[in-house]
Amino acid sequence: MSTPAAPPLLALRGVSVRYGPISALQDIDLQIQQGELVALLGSNGAGKSTTLRAISRLVKPVAGLIEWRGRSLARTATERTVRLGIGHCPEGRRVLARQSVAVNLELGAYLRRDRRAIARDLQRCYERFPRLGERRSQPAGSLSGGEQQMLAIARSLMGRPRLLLLDEPSLGLAPLLVAEVMAILQQLHREGLTILLVEQNAHAALAIADRGVVLQAGSISLSGSAAELMAHPDLKDTYLGEGEPGDG
Amino acid sequence: MRDLSLLVQMGFGALLALSVYLPLRCGQLSLATPGFYAIGGYVAALLSTRWPALSGGGASYPLTSLALELLLAALVAGAVALVLGRPVLQLRGIYLAIATIALVEILRVLNLNMAWSGGAVGIFGIPQPFDGPAGYALATGVLLALTCWLCSRLEAMRLGRAMSAIREDELAARCMGIPTADVKLIAFVLSAVIAALTGVLAAHFLNTWNARQGSFDASITTLAFVVFGGSRIWLGPVLGGLVITALPELLRPVGDLRLILFGLVILVGPILFPQGVITPEGLARIRAAVRRA
Ligand SMILES: Nc1ncnc2c1ncn2[C@@H]1O[C@H](COP(=O)(O)OP(=O)(O)OP(=O)(O)O)[C@@H](O)[C@H]1O
Ligand SMILES: [Mg+2]
Repeated sequence: MSTPAAPPLLALRGVSVRYGPISALQDIDLQIQQGELVALLGSNGAGKSTTLRAISRLVKPVAGLIEWRGRSLARTATERTVRLGIGHCPEGRRVLARQSVAVNLELGAYLRRDRRAIARDLQRCYERFPRLGERRSQPAGSLSGGEQQMLAIARSLMGRPRLLLLDEPSLGLAPLLVAEVMAILQQLHREGLTILLVEQNAHAALAIADRGVVLQAGSISLSGSAAELMAHPDLKDTYLGEGEPGDG
Repeated sequence: MRDLSLLVQMGFGALLALSVYLPLRCGQLSLATPGFYAIGGYVAALLSTRWPALSGGGASYPLTSLALELLLAALVAGAVALVLGRPVLQLRGIYLAIATIALVEILRVLNLNMAWSGGAVGIFGIPQPFDGPAGYALATGVLLALTCWLCSRLEAMRLGRAMSAIREDELAARCMGIPTADVKLIAFVLSAVIAALTGVLAAHFLNTWNARQGSFDASITTLAFVVFGGSRIWLGPVLGGLVITALPELLRPVGDLRLILFGLVILVGPILFPQGVITPEGLARIRAAVRRA
């Protein structure tokens, strides 16, 4: 006896996105189950950020379907996706530099009305990220790059997402900080959060992911379990374009 | 009295500056303020000159009628802003500025050519609810105080925080779940209402109203208020509106030089104070200095 399979938390079916004449994604199929940590890999311009933007409805696909727990998001506004439980932590951190750390975090909970639970989450956030707690009244612009990345992640968590879309959290961070960020993501994953992690740092991402998907020029060219991808001989050279001439 | 009249005009300047400030508070450079100011003035001029029932029997125009004009002007301008805001606010930066200037121009040309708005001559003989400038100063002062109160409350409200977030980083604001289009629209409507209310008082104060009241020049002047005073906190536009309106009068003793001096102030202000004369940081520094003293 088997119960009918629950729909995946998120499903992309044949999704294509264009920016005017430029085709950024073609016919993407991707499913994410509750509780998974999926790494979305690819070189510059492969369409990783665009995939996340399509999921959070910052861009509208020209074809295909995006479903959240079996329901189409075709008519959903971005603020509504946040309400549904899709948290998008965009590329480049994008903390509000002039606002304090605390205001940034409170804005992450903008759509929530449960003041007491927000206060509790804020407290928990300062426990998870002690350095944010120490700097809570400083302007976010005065934080170091690593601290700003932590703030960006913490701010997304304040919206209590069921699915966290993370766009290159390791960008511009020293190796030690990359490890620290990945450890936090691993911890969140263990606590049950579903994560779609966009990374160019394939090694760091696959080390904590359940499985990985590689984008190349807007199409999925390779996918498999994290272990399979790690062991794949051509991953770096062919798929992530790191072996191209002139690339050092 | 000349001085009280100047005070009234300074109050109008501060109100119009706040009307420009509100959309700017969420990063929207809208120059539509004079258009809504003109709408407010026409509502007042038409109602008070063409609708005898409003004039009452007494010597001066009833304050209740003035209140009715204010209400109707707010509704008309708010409705126009609500309808135009959706499409117009999809434009960004300089494109929004140009589109709103175009709106003001379209409105001006319409008013210039319509029979009901008095054409080029406009509408005159607008009745007086107050005996002299003192009454206008009081009414303008009350409206200004209320608007300042609203703007200062905004800094502590969710809406105000959402506006700041949009101004700083619209994409980040959207990712936080802020309904950016709605917030911008609210700011635009509030801006229109403030401008229209000011227009009602101005029409009575000036006694006459015509298409020149809402022009391209006025768009630039109201923008200068905010550039000079600063647009990061409500006190900035208020100061800008007060000072820049008063300046030509205050400089009258220097004769022909005054226009040059006026231009210099507007030119040098942004060079010395790129964020405007008043900034939150500057205010904090002043507050700290006062506490130490
Ligand atoms: N706003 C835009 N307008 C036009 N083209 C765009 C826009 N954003 C992205 N593109 C193009 O779409 C393609 C995919 O871009 P995307 O940002 O999704 O890549 P990415 O995989 O996130 O790259 P990176 O690793 O550099 O962040 C690229 O060719 C890019 O030039
Ligand atoms: Mg990207």
